[in-house]
Amino acid sequence: MSNDDDLLYELYALGVLEEPERSRVEELLRSGDRGAQEKLKRAMETNAMLLGATPLVDPPKSLRTRVLGSVGVVERNWGWVGLVGAMAAALGVVTIYLGTQLQERDGQLTAARADMQRTLRQAAETNAELTRARQVLSFLNAPETRMVTFGPRDPKPPKGRILLNANRGVLLIAGNLPPAPAGRIYQMWIIKKDRTPPQSGGLFQTDASGNAVHFQGGPVPLDATIAVTLEPEAGSTGPTTQPLFAAGL
Amino acid sequence: MWLLTFLFAAFDARSEDELIGRLKRRDPSAMADLYKRYGKLVYSVILRVVKEAGTAEDLAQETFLRIWNRAQFFEQDRGALGPWVLTVARNRAIDYVRSVEARNAQKSTTFEPELENPSSYADLERDILNSDRARVLRDAIRKLTPNQRVVIEMAYYEGLSQTEMADRMHQPLGTVKTWVRTALKILRNELEEVST
Repeated sequence: MSNDDDLLYELYALGVLEEPERSRVEELLRSGDRGAQEKLKRAMETNAMLLGATPLVDPPKSLRTRVLGSVGVVERNWGWVGLVGAMAAALGVVTIYLGTQLQERDGQLTAARADMQRTLRQAAETNAELTRARQVLSFLNAPETRMVTFGPRDPKPPKGRILLNANRGVLLIAGNLPPAPAGRIYQMWIIKKDRTPPQSGGLFQTDASGNAVHFQGGPVPLDATIAVTLEPEAGSTGPTTQPLFAAGL
Repeated sequence: MWLLTFLFAAFDARSEDELIGRLKRRDPSAMADLYKRYGKLVYSVILRVVKEAGTAEDLAQETFLRIWNRAQFFEQDRGALGPWVLTVARNRAIDYVRSVEARNAQKSTTFEPELENPSSYADLERDILNSDRARVLRDAIRKLTPNQRVVIEMAYYEGLSQTEMADRMHQPLGTVKTWVRTALKILRNELEEVST
């Protein structure tokens, strides 16, 4: 291997080296050549330093909430007492609204209230959960929010509710969803009727009891179908497995 | 002064050990510390690649989830966390851009991320991102000619091979290869100077 080829370990480590150089590097590494392995380590360090020199941009505050929320991280905050009070008041408004507008669905609402109260109790323990619950309450409080249930007639789980608001987004409250197997994660999909590819509605995990509350903000057509699939842990750009459930208004 | 530097380096190494240990045990507070340490950089690298804030946020979340789910395979005493996190972030972003391009062109994607396995990051310099070498490298990038800088950026932030760079720049492959090799040689020479 020439000295010039030594310069190509950085490209190999980046995954952009082409043949025949790529095969030459791989052959050396497979043979256990210590020099080649050392060059690769140094190239990986160089790559990290170059990527580390990327000009920094402040991420949106919501990213931290999403990252921590997606793994159920608990963060304590002394401001939670006031927030819980505000949320309890908002829950009352939501309850009255849902009770008057959807009297024929009393049974479903009772369950929905229980779901929300459970969510509130969990939210009181974590600041991240509180932020999410406030979003959910605001969403529920909006008069244009519509609700559909799924799974109650199925002999097996999952079951729950999907709430859609054309301007604000989608809220999924699901139960009896077993924890995703190792290396997999649940992904929500928004499937529009215009035959465009399904749009990712975000990744989520269930708690130990198999419950999940997942909110995806942003505009969504009211006639969209909401589906959930099991995907590789990093998520997918399109569904790669059969939906565990799908529902629309 | 050297004593302080040594103590800070030792403390950083120990705190990284401790962070990796908590990640491997799935201690929830470790994710907050991981985000505090790398959140801004991960988001910045991904945004540089995808150039769209909403997508960058989605991919940054996926990056941290992947780190969380694979941390158990990381070598606590020997692994360098920063380079691994940056590689995962870059790969997620480039994989996304490639898949969108492939979908638009109705062809299959060809990008195959290399060296994302956490065990590949054993025996790299621990605090490489904050090292003197990293500072030297940042200065060295400014010494590259515009064409050399462009091809380096295409490799790191777009995941392009030299053939793809030549197509994009409408230049002969040999010319592009010369720019790439010269650029890497300049960067390597600068790094070797600081090591000696």
